Amino acid sequence: MVPPEYYLLLSAAVFCIGLFGILTRRNALLFLMSVELMLNAANINLVAFSYVWGNITGQTFGLFTMALAAAEVAVGIGIILVLYRSFDGVDVTDATTMRW
Amino acid sequence: MVGIFDFTPAIVLLPFVSFLIALAVGDHLPKGGALAGITATAGSLALAIGTVLAVAGGRTYDATLYTWAEGLEAVNLTFGVLIDPLSALMLLIVTLVAFLVHVFSLGYMNDEDETGLPRYYAGLGLFTASMLGFVVADNLLMAFMFFELVGLCSYLLIGFHFREPGPPSAAKKAFLVTRFGDYFFLVGVVAVFGTFGTAAFVGSESFPALAEAALRGETSVNTFGFAPQTWFTIVGLLVLGGVIGKSAQYPLHTWLPDAMEGPTPVSALIHAATMVAAGVYLVARMYGFYAISPTALAIIAFVGGFTALFAATMGLVKREIKQVLAYSTISQYGYMMLALGGGGYVAATFHLMTHAFFKALLFLGAGSVIIAMHHNEDMWDMGGLRSKMPVTYYTFLSGSLALAGIFPFAGFWSKDEVLYETLLHGLDGDPILLAAYAMGLLAVFFTGLYTFRMVFLTFHGDPRSGTAEDPHGVRWNVKFPLVVLGVLAAVAGFVNMVPVKKVTGLKIDFLHKWLEHGYAGLTVEHYGELLHDFPHYGSAGLELSPLGPGAVSLGLALAGAVVAHRLYNVPEPVEHTDRLGEIKTVLYNNYYQDEYQVWIANGLTRSIARAANKFDGGVVDGVVNGVSSVSLFSGSRIRRIQTGVVSNYAVLLTLGLTALILAFGLAGGWFV
Repeated sequence: MVPPEYYLLLSAAVFCIGLFGILTRRNALLFLMSVELMLNAANINLVAFSYVWGNITGQTFGLFTMALAAAEVAVGIGIILVLYRSFDGVDVTDATTMRW
Repeated sequence: MVGIFDFTPAIVLLPFVSFLIALAVGDHLPKGGALAGITATAGSLALAIGTVLAVAGGRTYDATLYTWAEGLEAVNLTFGVLIDPLSALMLLIVTLVAFLVHVFSLGYMNDEDETGLPRYYAGLGLFTASMLGFVVADNLLMAFMFFELVGLCSYLLIGFHFREPGPPSAAKKAFLVTRFGDYFFLVGVVAVFGTFGTAAFVGSESFPALAEAALRGETSVNTFGFAPQTWFTIVGLLVLGGVIGKSAQYPLHTWLPDAMEGPTPVSALIHAATMVAAGVYLVARMYGFYAISPTALAIIAFVGGFTALFAATMGLVKREIKQVLAYSTISQYGYMMLALGGGGYVAATFHLMTHAFFKALLFLGAGSVIIAMHHNEDMWDMGGLRSKMPVTYYTFLSGSLALAGIFPFAGFWSKDEVLYETLLHGLDGDPILLAAYAMGLLAVFFTGLYTFRMVFLTFHGDPRSGTAEDPHGVRWNVKFPLVVLGVLAAVAGFVNMVPVKKVTGLKIDFLHKWLEHGYAGLTVEHYGELLHDFPHYGSAGLELSPLGPGAVSLGLALAGAVVAHRLYNVPEPVEHTDRLGEIKTVLYNNYYQDEYQVWIANGLTRSIARAANKFDGGVVDGVVNGVSSVSLFSGSRIRRIQTGVVSNYAVLLTLGLTALILAFGLAGGWFV
């Protein structure tokens, strides 16, 4: 049995990659992808702990998270389409009309 | 079973309905809504007569009709009606006078082609309704609310001719001066609620009963750290503030003479029989509360006696017939206060009743004269009207004899009893009562003088102007109320001939008997016990024949009348007031009461208000603005972090999360 530390390390690595993407990229599509990575890092944790404790609840939640992620992508793509229409591009630093 | 008492609310509501009718459709009705008012007051009068008959049969009534605020603890705010001998008598007086005034208005307003009649009749209706509501009120708060409504209506009616300069200003003055007194009344009502948890007038849980029990040591109430006696006196005096304002006692009497700017029937209604009566009636209504406080009684008696004399002297020099009547009203209400303070509860009620009749009569008679004189009120332009308007003359004479207190007219019996009771209780060893009595006695002379000066100048001698030679005629609608009231002014005194009873032993003090039954805590006997136990009135067991004091006051009244006869009952009277020299100027300017009150309002209050405004603008606003400027400044700086760039927000989020984890880690000791 693989010890849970490896899963945690993997999930932390995936989370940090996603976070790095969000902090450095300007393309809204890449933003969406990075968010998906962070979401799945959390998913890995859920499944891993469920496996370690022998409890099926965590895996069920994993399934829910995936469904949620799918919905989130649908919404996210919609937002990006509107962003493209309004600002002629998907660069998030261009859309700064909602400021003080 | 439906009894007469089930219709008690209708007595109040009928005039209110006439108010609504006159207001809504008065323009389309014949006579501008007068008929609705006459019908409504006639209905109220009939119901009031029924109520009086039922009360005469020994029945009384007290019911809570509507609870408009349920208290969390014991205090409920309610509307209710209380019918006992006192309120039944007052209902009869008010409805009768209101009915006659409505009829008289046909002659004074409609026949003179006044404009705005619906507004006038709406005002009369609402005024009558509020006064009747005040009379039947069974708790102090309800009484206060109707008291205020009465004040509002007086404002509307005094300012009826609002296009002229005088009436609006008189209306405002009446409103503000009485409001000044009512301010104390309101504080008093709150104090009554705070002390007793109830404001009911009747029952073992009413506030006069609780106050009495507290003084006897049977129960205790929250007196806010004062001795109960002191505190009850304070509360009583607070409520008395409203009474002094409404009943035009010194120093809040200044509004009443100005209020003569209103139409004359309104003067009759407001200043003779109802609104001004409200103050005295309130004291009589809660007499059980005043009877336990010697200080409050002494103040009431002294203010009353002083006002009686003070107003009578001012009445001596006035030129306008209504001004003389205005000062006589103030003076007569002074007598009622004197009686209440002197322990003469029945005497005060008696004088209230007779005065309502004869003063309404005098005002309506003056109204008739004013119609005849084409709205000239100056008595020096009249004269010789006796032969031209005999009905007005003889009824007016009846009212004047009653006002002056000449035997056997109504005013003689009531004023005599007022003075007798005060003297009797004053001789127990109360110098304040004796001083008040002396002032009241002296005022009798002046009353006779100014009353007959008015009569002689108006009706006797030769006409002094063209209009007086050929006066305008008056119709039945003026004469009918005058005759009814003229008869009452002559005979109303016979309901309570105490001196005759004392001498002959006949049981003819009907008013005493009338006020002896009813609720246990609201009877004459109970008040007698209270007056005996607390201010010790009559405890010396003094016996005094009523004949001596009666003869003295009658002699003084006759002396006044004779002096007036000598001075003014000549074909060509002259103004003897000039002989008074400087005093005349002082009297003519009403002892400069208005001037000093204007000075208080303008000079004193204004500068205090200006200082308060400065404090408010400088200190209070400064603190508030300082606090807000800190928020404004920090807000203007901190808002800069909202750049609109999503990446910056992400950075802030991440940094925040990191900081949180670090903080938790440090606090939880993860790094050790």
